Amino acid sequence: MNMHTQPQRTPAETALIDAFGDRLSLLPGDGAVMLKRDDAIEAIKHGLPTRRVESWHYTDLRRLLNAVPDFDPAANAKAIAPIVDGSTVVSILNGKSDAKVPVIEGVTFQPLSEKLIDGSIAPGLDPYGSDDAIGALNTAFVADGYFVDIADGTELEKPIELQNLQAGGQTHVRLPVRVGTGAKAVIVERQTGDGAVLGSSVSQLVLGEGAEVTWLIVQEQPETATHLAQFKAHLGKNSKLTVFFMNAGGKLVRQEIVVRTTGEGADFKLRGINLLAGDTHTDVTMVLDHAVPHTTSTEVIRNVVTGKARGAFQGRINVHQYAQKTNAKMACNTLLLSDDGEFSTKPELEIFADDVVCGHGATVTEIDHDHLFYLMARGVDEKTARGLLVKAFVAEVIEELDDEAIVEALEARLDGWFVTHG
Amino acid sequence: MPAVQDTIDRVRKIDVDQYKYGFQTEIAMDKAPKGLSEDIIRFISAKKDEPSWMLEWRLEAYRRWLTLDEPTWARVHYPKIDFQDIYFYAAPKSTPGPTSLSDVDPELLKVYEKLGIPLREQEILAGVQKTDASELEEVSDNVYKSGRVAVDAVFDSVSVVTTFKKELAQAGVIFCSISEAIREHPELVKKYLGSVVPTSDNYYATLNSAVFTDGSFVFVPKGVRCPMELSTYFRMNERNTGQFERTLIIAEEGAYVSYLEGCTAPQRDENQLHAAVVELVALDDAEIKYSTVQNWYPGDAEGKGGIYNFVTKRGDCRGDRSKISWTQVETGSAITWKYPSCILRGDDSSGEFYSIAVSNGYQQVDSGTKMIHLGKNTSSRIISKGIAAGFSQNTYRGQVSAHRKATNARNFTNCDSLLIGDQCGAHTVPYMEAKNSTAQFEHEATTSKISEDQKFYVMQRGIPEEEAIALIVNGFVKDVIQQLPMEFAVEAQKLIGISLEGSVG
Amino acid sequence: MLEIRNLHARIVDDGTEIIRGLNLTVKAGEVAAIMGPNGSGKSTLSYILAGREDYEVTEGDILYNGQSILEMDPAERATSGIFLAFQYPMEIPGVATMEFLKVAMNEQRKARGEEPLKIPEFLKRVKEAATSLSMDMAMLKRPLNVGFSGGEKKRAEILQMKLLEPKLCVLDETDSGLDIDALKIVSDGVNALRSPDRAFLVITHYQRLLEHIVPDSVHVLYRGQVIKSGDKSLALDLEANGYAGVIGEAA
Repeated sequence: MNMHTQPQRTPAETALIDAFGDRLSLLPGDGAVMLKRDDAIEAIKHGLPTRRVESWHYTDLRRLLNAVPDFDPAANAKAIAPIVDGSTVVSILNGKSDAKVPVIEGVTFQPLSEKLIDGSIAPGLDPYGSDDAIGALNTAFVADGYFVDIADGTELEKPIELQNLQAGGQTHVRLPVRVGTGAKAVIVERQTGDGAVLGSSVSQLVLGEGAEVTWLIVQEQPETATHLAQFKAHLGKNSKLTVFFMNAGGKLVRQEIVVRTTGEGADFKLRGINLLAGDTHTDVTMVLDHAVPHTTSTEVIRNVVTGKARGAFQGRINVHQYAQKTNAKMACNTLLLSDDGEFSTKPELEIFADDVVCGHGATVTEIDHDHLFYLMARGVDEKTARGLLVKAFVAEVIEELDDEAIVEALEARLDGWFVTHG
Repeated sequence: MPAVQDTIDRVRKIDVDQYKYGFQTEIAMDKAPKGLSEDIIRFISAKKDEPSWMLEWRLEAYRRWLTLDEPTWARVHYPKIDFQDIYFYAAPKSTPGPTSLSDVDPELLKVYEKLGIPLREQEILAGVQKTDASELEEVSDNVYKSGRVAVDAVFDSVSVVTTFKKELAQAGVIFCSISEAIREHPELVKKYLGSVVPTSDNYYATLNSAVFTDGSFVFVPKGVRCPMELSTYFRMNERNTGQFERTLIIAEEGAYVSYLEGCTAPQRDENQLHAAVVELVALDDAEIKYSTVQNWYPGDAEGKGGIYNFVTKRGDCRGDRSKISWTQVETGSAITWKYPSCILRGDDSSGEFYSIAVSNGYQQVDSGTKMIHLGKNTSSRIISKGIAAGFSQNTYRGQVSAHRKATNARNFTNCDSLLIGDQCGAHTVPYMEAKNSTAQFEHEATTSKISEDQKFYVMQRGIPEEEAIALIVNGFVKDVIQQLPMEFAVEAQKLIGISLEGSVG
Repeated sequence: MLEIRNLHARIVDDGTEIIRGLNLTVKAGEVAAIMGPNGSGKSTLSYILAGREDYEVTEGDILYNGQSILEMDPAERATSGIFLAFQYPMEIPGVATMEFLKVAMNEQRKARGEEPLKIPEFLKRVKEAATSLSMDMAMLKRPLNVGFSGGEKKRAEILQMKLLEPKLCVLDETDSGLDIDALKIVSDGVNALRSPDRAFLVITHYQRLLEHIVPDSVHVLYRGQVIKSGDKSLALDLEANGYAGVIGEAA
């Protein structure tokens, strides 16, 4: 958190601190968990991060978070159809785990409230650094979620869709997922709902040796919601993780992706698209630590900015001193379609090992005029031609996912967005 | 500057250690008491015989500085600076303001001779034998061509001499120390000083505004192409002194000037502070080319001593079609904190930043640029080459932004880092901010080490390891070296080789 | 001139033994061809002779003019007269070929206690050598090997060999990637350098090159050993019957 001496608290800061006092008796947790909560609210008392805090450079949370809704116990959400047919659906309804839990072989789902009460989740509640405002907010208020355990060697045929559905007030959920040795799974993290919600969501993934996971974050919040999300992962030896995210909604959105390779031979891929419209603010911040030798990563981010939307991508790749033979590549490309929109990119490399190959590229451009002309010369009208080109620009990232059902499902979401905003 | 070719060779014989400019000179000095206060500022202003508006300007900056905190965002670490333990004014005693070379203390002239910077005009006029220069050209682009360079030499706090003033004056060019400019050309100074880097800009710039002691002033009037390269050599000699120079360069409509800056300091155990401000103003169709070879004392092998180099350099492309180009070769200083920037205010204006930053030992470099696109059809280009060796940390930090009205802003950025050894770090922190849909930004960055294959190949031809590395590194930085004026290019290449000495374990 | 005695060597990284008891003697003035199937250790041998650190000699010795060279680094071996024409010459961005030639030639001269070359003399030598190899001087202003075609790279290797005047020339698959015209030019270049006080080790997979550079001796390398030696007729035999027969005999 911001260590500068803070001037007066903002109404949002006051509201959060007051809410903590009011909610305290309702928050589940043993002694260890409650101590973590106390530490977390202390961090918030020091003030929400401003743009002077480097990792929040493009999202001055202190200034942008100007309304904190009260908790709304009456608000109800209903489970929705999964984006990929036949997925195993597990829902969190306005912050509470659903009573109905599916049964599939090799997978255990446990409501997180139980693990808060027995304290077994306490060690995972620490924020990852002094600037981790989302971690602190979530640790202070988290009441439920799911703990998912995929046993060693389990190979899931169908995706698991974890739905975090909001209806009103505040929701703070957490999704720890352990994937055992050699296990394979596709997990969809669905973030959507209604109303002027303030939500925090923290996913924590641990990949065992040789595990392979594709994790899709599909964020389609209404343009009234504040969505503060974090995805953290540890990659074991020879494990493979592909994270795909699609941000297509929300008023104030911050998606953090914090990944660490902890075993040699691990491979991380990040593919993401930001579809930004209206008067909104979206920030994707990735911190990737190559902590051991012989690990690889690639990141491809594509952004489309319309209306008065403001977007930012910060991507920091840290290569530790012992992480020799690291190979890391990052690219961030933006199509800025409106003069009122803006997009900022900060792709950082922090490199302490010498035997590495690391690089990044970033571009901000308009639609390629030659391409546009070509399509128009073939009789396609300008509006349609533009639409085709913009869609192709982001669809490229989806098509890389290499699983027909998933690609189709995501392209359907994409089409949906273009119908509304195109 | 001719004879700079041999500068390194000559000077390296003087000193046994890594740093080749580590001698100090015994010269009678005139110093203000240590520390900083309004009285010290009044003292400096009085010493320089300044008008009262200048004193007021300084005091205002000082009062503002007292309210500021030292910035912490750069990737550099150092103990807190005790500003009360620094001499803010030190001048060679014999020079109340030399009017000609014959007035200059011969000891001082010797210093510059040791550095390979001839201040005697006849030496420069004599030039260098140009035998087989045309054939040299076939060998490489790094040939040495002799040219005439006017030099302003700044020793600790004051400018000791400026050469070629008469000839420059004939062309209408003013080239003198800033102190002299404040006295002789107050209208120009009043108009432009602080107009690019305001007194409130940042902690070190504000400090500089309060206490700056000397620096260079250049004014190139409308339509004039400056007939020779202009150069300033900065030398810090006195113990515990801070050097706070202030440079102001103005190119009026259609004018052109190329300016070179070189820096050295003696070897000392304590850290010395250097906080300069450089302001460039380019009006319509004007072009300013500013080149730096920075070789302040970097500290010893254990990281003791060395210069803290906290510099604010900014160019304002105020006029349409104006152009400002920064080229820097940074090999010295314990800590470098420096971001030569361009404000692209005029329509069709352009900015360039070419940089080589070499760090070895325990040096810390956090350097880069800002390209702020405000006008229409502005373009910028950034080429940065960072080389980290030893235990050093080398950071590129750069910002490119296009504002709402900056239609058709273009930027191309390339920053590459090279690591030599596994105890150093290379970091790249670019900020790209686009607020206009017609902006086109392109950024690419790579980090790698010198390939073993390349090194083996070069050594197989009989070139020893350290020279093989220097050769490959010089290839790596070629794009930037080519931007330097000839005489600097040769010096810079040698300097890079010397800076990397001892980096091979 | 060169005597390799019971040489054993392995890859430092993973300990794989590549050279397993190799013996070979090459006299001054001799052109020795090293032939062998893929993976027999031909290129490794050239790297070990030139002193590449990725390989470690575990047993045996390499004597050059009667002195062991194992403790010498690549640059020292080069200045003592050992030249390796690389199979895949490295690209060195930003370093003009001319500049590189000048530095390399002067380092060799320095090692011999000679003065650096004067520019006109240097240019004269480069022009002569380039002309004899049908090379364009414009090419030499470009960064070393950067953007050179396969044939241009090989020619540039021979150009360096001419200019550095080595005593022991190791040619690693110099014929690979060359069309017939280029092969002729390169071979003529090599032949012109043959002299009584200079030895050549010509490493090749095919007999084709040996039609142009006629060897005095031919050695078959297999699994890190010389399994058969003979005169130039051995190469013709290999061309006609393949390696299988020779390998079978040795087994």
